[in-house]
Amino acid sequence: MATETSAGSPADGSAGRLGRVRSYLEGPNTVGNSRQFWAGFLVALIALAAYPMLTNSYQVGRVTLFFVYAFLGLSLSIVWGYAGVLSFGQVVFFGVAGYTFGVISVNFATPAGITGAFVVGVLGGAAMAAVLGYFMFYGGVRDVYVTIITLVSTLVLHTFMAQTAGDEWTIGEAALGGFNGMPTIPNLALGVEGAALTFDNVTYYYFVLALLVGMYLALRVLVNSDYGRVMVAVREDEDRTQMFGYNVKRTKLTVFTLGGALAGLSGVLYAAWGNYMSPGVFELTFASLPVIWVSVGGRKSLLGALAATIGIEYFRNSLGGELAFVIVGALLLVFILGLPGGIVPWVDEKLVPWLQRIIQSRSTGAAAAPTEETD
Amino acid sequence: MANGLNLLFQFLDSFAFIVLAAAGLAIIFGIMGVINLAHGEFIMLGAYATTLANIQFGLPLPAAMLAGVAVTVAFGFVVERTIVSGWLPNAISQRAIGRNVIEPLYDRLADSMVATWGLSLIMVQGVRITLGNSLDQIGTPLGNIAYGGFSYSLYRVSLAGVALAVLLGTYALFRYTTYGMRARATIQDEDTARAMGVDTERTYVTTFAIGSGLAGLTGALYAPTITMVPGLGSSFLVEAFVAVVVGGPSVVLGTTLAGGLLGAINATVSNLFGTFFGRIALLVTAIVMIRFLPDGITGFTERLRDRLQEGA
Amino acid sequence: MSDGLSSRRGFLASSAVLAGTALAGCSGGTASSSDTVTLGILEDRSGNFALVGDPKHKASLLAIEEINADGGIMGNQIEVFDPDPQSDNQRYQELTRRAINQQQVDAMWAGYSSATREAIRPIIDREDQLYFYTTQYEGGVCDHNVFAVGPTARQQLGSVLPYLVEEYGPRIYTIAADYNFGQLSADWVKVLADENDAEVINEEFIPLSNSQFGSTINRIQEADPDFVMSMLVGANHTSFYEQKASAGLDVPIGTSTAMAQGYEHLRLDPPAMENIYAGVNYMEEIPTERNTREGGFVDRYFEKFPDAPYLNEEAENNYFSIYMYKQAVEQAGTFEQEAVKEALESGISFGAPEAPGDEEISLVPETHHVDHHMWVMRADGEHNVEAVDNRVIPETFLKDTVGCDLTQEDEETQYTPQDFYEEAG
Repeated sequence: MATETSAGSPADGSAGRLGRVRSYLEGPNTVGNSRQFWAGFLVALIALAAYPMLTNSYQVGRVTLFFVYAFLGLSLSIVWGYAGVLSFGQVVFFGVAGYTFGVISVNFATPAGITGAFVVGVLGGAAMAAVLGYFMFYGGVRDVYVTIITLVSTLVLHTFMAQTAGDEWTIGEAALGGFNGMPTIPNLALGVEGAALTFDNVTYYYFVLALLVGMYLALRVLVNSDYGRVMVAVREDEDRTQMFGYNVKRTKLTVFTLGGALAGLSGVLYAAWGNYMSPGVFELTFASLPVIWVSVGGRKSLLGALAATIGIEYFRNSLGGELAFVIVGALLLVFILGLPGGIVPWVDEKLVPWLQRIIQSRSTGAAAAPTEETD
Repeated sequence: MANGLNLLFQFLDSFAFIVLAAAGLAIIFGIMGVINLAHGEFIMLGAYATTLANIQFGLPLPAAMLAGVAVTVAFGFVVERTIVSGWLPNAISQRAIGRNVIEPLYDRLADSMVATWGLSLIMVQGVRITLGNSLDQIGTPLGNIAYGGFSYSLYRVSLAGVALAVLLGTYALFRYTTYGMRARATIQDEDTARAMGVDTERTYVTTFAIGSGLAGLTGALYAPTITMVPGLGSSFLVEAFVAVVVGGPSVVLGTTLAGGLLGAINATVSNLFGTFFGRIALLVTAIVMIRFLPDGITGFTERLRDRLQEGA
Repeated sequence: MSDGLSSRRGFLASSAVLAGTALAGCSGGTASSSDTVTLGILEDRSGNFALVGDPKHKASLLAIEEINADGGIMGNQIEVFDPDPQSDNQRYQELTRRAINQQQVDAMWAGYSSATREAIRPIIDREDQLYFYTTQYEGGVCDHNVFAVGPTARQQLGSVLPYLVEEYGPRIYTIAADYNFGQLSADWVKVLADENDAEVINEEFIPLSNSQFGSTINRIQEADPDFVMSMLVGANHTSFYEQKASAGLDVPIGTSTAMAQGYEHLRLDPPAMENIYAGVNYMEEIPTERNTREGGFVDRYFEKFPDAPYLNEEAENNYFSIYMYKQAVEQAGTFEQEAVKEALESGISFGAPEAPGDEEISLVPETHHVDHHMWVMRADGEHNVEAVDNRVIPETFLKDTVGCDLTQEDEETQYTPQDFYEEAG
């Protein structure tokens, strides 16, 4: 991992503080470590912020859902791309958190109650991941068997939740609803009665977007920190990392729990978005979506996971009809075979330097040797 | 007495289902390190080909089943050459731009899962588009056995015999043929095998074709007893995966033992409490087995045997 | 300046998201113009429910074509917004939003399964959208905006169960899909058994993903009932009929779900469906004038769709409810949705194909349900289907037992038998 980092202040010596912030955010474990990257990032952010003013409420709602899914994609990226655990079960934590939020918020439909539901939901996702992770990692289960256990857990939850239809499956006021699902989950509200932040279509969009950007940046910091290096070491070679004295099991468990919390966050935001939870989130088709997003986007890249989730869901959503599934399947095949590392790393490592070379060879007057790339 | 017979037949039925569902997957996974998430769709292909051969083309059922297997083997060959090993795209790209574009999927567990998942999406929807939402079904042959107020489908019970034949046949294949020897060498240590002149590439192609053929056989055998819809493969997937994982690295022995254990549990619990609990019991057993025997049953027995040998 | 040209990698990488969502900026779609009325028809043509959803879509198109050929509704031609929701509830939610907010449909027909209905009901209720739910279902939805025009479980089971008790005896064994519809239908079987001096000796609930029925068959044989009530749902469960036939189980079976929706009697080899009695309001084979005559419903359907495999129960529900909508609009004199809902609550009737001779079926004002003409259809050893019983069965649960009255009070609730009947608990 000998890529150079632009640790320290940029060449023109501006804002030592800015440079310090950037040094936290940048590193070998993420794509985009240059001023141009952040400039582009800012532009994209501004465009996304302006979007609701250019379009109608239906579109805004639609894109909000893609943002919600991005958390789920990020959760798999952390767990798989950075710690090497391929989990088909992120939707388990997504679903458990969503249902928890639903049950609590239906019973306590006040802003304080909903805020509590929000917190407990996310914690629920994390707790579920901790339990499953403990069971697997401390039991010595490895590699593909971990994947299969997560897959089987998803199926168990689906079978179980689908039959919670009767009245006995009611917690307080909230009926789990079985296959029909739990409707009338309230919108998200944060705070207490009188001083609460409630959301409508557009403000929810901004809330989720802000949360997404914040989470992305926070994850960048994590992944580029010393702990991030341990994660990557575990991914690359568990035994060697163990021999260096790191507690591999605890690392995997911690990362898996963090992934569970992220997936749980996604689940809670989802429940509040659609005001509805159903066992459909535990189906195999939905469980495999995060794997698809992250595989295509580049599992070792947070930005890849994020961008691919939004891009693929937008694409899938816009395609209608019979051919949609065929095209998604073909897309998946082509990408995993041709670009097994995913799009964003490929763009970063191959496409952009190639374009740069072309551009530079065009400007024939540049007799001077290209300056040393510091990113 | 009658209930004892019930239990026996249900066990045989369950055993057959699990073994036949898992066989093709186990071989491909064990030898090539590829997880074929399109396994269910290969089963569907065999079932559809058999049904079409019998109903559209009027072939008698055994011949139709052979046709089903043949179609699946051919399709498996094409998939292996195009997607799993990447031979075909690479051959084309070598001509066009002078280098390979695809790495083979061998031993790339995660990537093979993703790639074959994409394949399964294409297969299911492709079949739905070309052949519609369902096919007319072949009737189940062979009638039933009646005993003391109960009766069981003779065909389904005889599938247990077929499952055993498949297991024995696979064993014989590994033990007594050159292919088998090459395959075993490759499982044990691929690089050494290659260094000693084993054509691992040909082994892989043959393996994938055999695995596909077995999946196609399962489809052909179950075609007369289940509904012909494009998504029928998914009802085999859970049992297949669970059996492969619980069975462990040894293909034949692992699948047999897994089939026996899981089949017994499923049959007993279903018999006493109903199919819902039978299903849950199956899944819970799998999880517990994986937790305590993370290498599967045969992984455990192999380690045990090694340890005993050292001690002796 | 070479500096500015170099090092674009970050910029390009982060703009990927920008490019993707910028495309989403095309809002597209227009509100319905003043001479057309737009109807939203969201029915599955791919995915799990494609088999049963496709006929619903087709029959809707047939009704619309006929009405348009006849001058439309109050002189306005009908336009259709009919994307394929692909049996995916999330797509349903999203397409419902699109239908209401972008396309501004005047009325909506959507969904096959109850899960779909429940997924979109919050959106429907929030936007006060006029919505027709046309699938047979467990019953109990008392909602100002929802017109559930398919038969309820009580109506369907109430047509076939008493007949079978008469014919075969009082000992009933229930097998049902293990989810809301199946469980609630099983509750209704208990209620109806009690009302008909019969007894449910055992029940088994089977997960939707299960396709192997060996032990189920044995347990039925062990219990030795007079007849079985089957509320199995979905492609996996259809395997039951083939497997039971090959196991030699020949007990008569009453059902609300088999044959009429998924035409198993055509897809499976005889005698798999022998002695199956379906209690339904409509099947392609019902012997009414409107259905079977030259140029009748069946003829018109297959003339427009010569490759369609079957004309199923729900298709007829879509068909007649579109005509009922037309009547209501004409009565109200406007397309404005609240006025149309009121008109629908005034007692609309229509000569639907399920009603024999000149009879009509009526939409009940208080409950938004339909008093259906129910048929008991039996398949024989060669899978020929004939009617053995028929009569009008009114919807009684909401009207009489619950006391739902939407003409007096707006509600948005679903009621279950467990709350009202001891036997169901």
